[in-house]
Amino acid sequence: MIRITSRWRNTLAVALTGISLFSVTAASAANITVWCWDQNFNGATMQEAFSRYQASHPDDTIKIEIFDKAAMEQKLQAQLASGATDGLPDIVLIEDYRAQKYLQSFPSSFEPLNSHVDYSTFAPYKVELATLNGQTYSIPFDSGVTGLFYRADLLEAAGFGAADLENITWDQLIEIGKAVKEKTGETLLPIDPTSSDWIRIMLQSAGSWYFDADGNVTIKDNPVFKAAVETYQRLMAAGITTPVSGWTEYTGSFTSGKTLATFSGVWMTATIKANPDQSGKWGVAPSPRLDGVEGASQASNLGGSSWYVLSSAPQKDLAIDFLSEIWAKDIDFYQKILVNQGALGTLLAARDGEAFKASDEFFGGQPVWQNFSTWLAAIPAVNYGIFTEEADTATVAQIPAITSGGNVDEIIAAIDAQVRQQTQ
Amino acid sequence: MPALVLLGIFMVYPILWSLWMSFQVGRGMNFSFGGLTNIMRLTQDPVFIRALTNNFLFLAIQVPIMLVLALFFANALNDSKLWGRGFFRTAIFLPCVTSLVAYSVIFKSIFGLEGIANQSLLFLHVIENPINWLSDPFWARFVVIAAITWRWTGYNMIFYLAAMQNIDRSMYEAARIDGVPGWARFWYITVPLLKPVILFTSVTSTIGTLQLFDEVNLLTMGGPSDSTMTLSLYIYNLSFRFMPSFGYAATVSYVIVVLVGLLSLIQFMVARDRRA
Repeated sequence: MIRITSRWRNTLAVALTGISLFSVTAASAANITVWCWDQNFNGATMQEAFSRYQASHPDDTIKIEIFDKAAMEQKLQAQLASGATDGLPDIVLIEDYRAQKYLQSFPSSFEPLNSHVDYSTFAPYKVELATLNGQTYSIPFDSGVTGLFYRADLLEAAGFGAADLENITWDQLIEIGKAVKEKTGETLLPIDPTSSDWIRIMLQSAGSWYFDADGNVTIKDNPVFKAAVETYQRLMAAGITTPVSGWTEYTGSFTSGKTLATFSGVWMTATIKANPDQSGKWGVAPSPRLDGVEGASQASNLGGSSWYVLSSAPQKDLAIDFLSEIWAKDIDFYQKILVNQGALGTLLAARDGEAFKASDEFFGGQPVWQNFSTWLAAIPAVNYGIFTEEADTATVAQIPAITSGGNVDEIIAAIDAQVRQQTQ
Repeated sequence: MPALVLLGIFMVYPILWSLWMSFQVGRGMNFSFGGLTNIMRLTQDPVFIRALTNNFLFLAIQVPIMLVLALFFANALNDSKLWGRGFFRTAIFLPCVTSLVAYSVIFKSIFGLEGIANQSLLFLHVIENPINWLSDPFWARFVVIAAITWRWTGYNMIFYLAAMQNIDRSMYEAARIDGVPGWARFWYITVPLLKPVILFTSVTSTIGTLQLFDEVNLLTMGGPSDSTMTLSLYIYNLSFRFMPSFGYAATVSYVIVVLVGLLSLIQFMVARDRRA
């Protein structure tokens, strides 16, 4: 009996040694977790980046978790506020508008990357967005350079070609929309009254924002803000828009041909190209400029985001190594995600690559990437500050008043009052 | 004794701590004592005032509709001659055990621009153009009220049904022999005897409406133009959407505490007066 027990003990010891050896080998292969919000866009580019990294790190794996964007932001904020870091990812995608809010309200939650990345190789405005007290916290990712995406074939039917959309103002666009409606009965643009995207596009195109460079509220007595609200009101009054609610209805509207065009960031390309049967039928024009506004330009920005590493991340070193290896250096990678996902990265050297010079058959052979790169360089820099979410909410609250033809000065005063109240 | 310790850790301590928080000002993780600053801020905050108004609007419209409906259904389903009682009871109770997210998503799709609500109304020629349910302030409130009513009517009905089963049958028989019509039996026998339960349901419904969060968050996010914003959703936004402002969020939550206390007190007083 005693002998049997000791034999069992030996077997057990051997088995335990085996398990512990196994777990040692298992520990050297690590798994990086990433949070982002778009399967076709940032999720797909992250997957592509990691598959390149795997060539030199065959044992490591990645887990990309896709969320609804708002839900992900709120989950991240709730966890950072609670101080419970369990369950947070190693890498998280953060939209540029919110970067400073996270960096300032949760100090030491994100990892500064200055010692790992040469930031002079990235577009300066992206680096600045993620810099606080001399430390930079992000691997800059995509630009939100905007353009007017339109159905070239359907506009052609109404008598408008690419040249008619070049270098125009918003009011000229409204006239085009009216003419199209008259000739074909189709509406030009979908519009989501629960979103302030287009007002933000107009503001930044003229180098203005809800806040000035020092973070003071600049809504009342700001001629650009007034022009943006007035333009939005004219746009709604012209009867050339279809109301949509939510993202799915919005994208569904122009990909199904119910509306003929939309303004968006370059990242919308992936969504538009997800319908291969529409190849050759699309075109992209520069954003229109605001009428009668000093400093109005044809270039603007919507969204755009960057990757951040959490200080609490279990695989922090691996995550930093991966990001700096691929996202901060691999020029060929940027060519591939540009062609496949329409991801216009902000690594400057990548813009000399082949893909950026190519023309795109989906957009009727236009040199779209070169155009976007040109517009990107012309985007006026503004300070998003830490209260963009509050200012957006205040603006959206007044959109029904704008749409129903309310007094613009009173509307702006109401937005201004609410923003001041919320940012005190 | 262990119960008291647990109660202390999980109830008393958080309550005191949040009360302390409600006097703190500052952003994110940096706060300092602000005295009455947050309370002053409440009085000038347009979003807070809109949220408060909405809460009272939902309370004034939705709770009476729901309780009357529940009473009506309970009375109808209490009829022992009704065929398929069990089925109807289950059908009306079922909404309040469905997953919150699932039902909100379904409501959202029903009331989408091309949802079944618009399609049916267009088909029946009730409307000429589709109604933008969730982006129109009036209709968004309508959808929220419809959603809460759908979900909670059955829940309240169960309380009424249970109470009705306890009413002595002989009272109805006596009334019937005396020739009292059906509506009068309901009004003069059922309703007075259900008074304690009606009080209970109105207190719980009031509390529920003041804490309304899930439906508005999932259906409308408080929009359009804050027309469905509620205090709870505002607290959430202050903490997890905006630049975090935990002190002020705590102040707003104490407004709910005070309101729940006051309204419950009023309801008890009203009920007591009638009994006297």
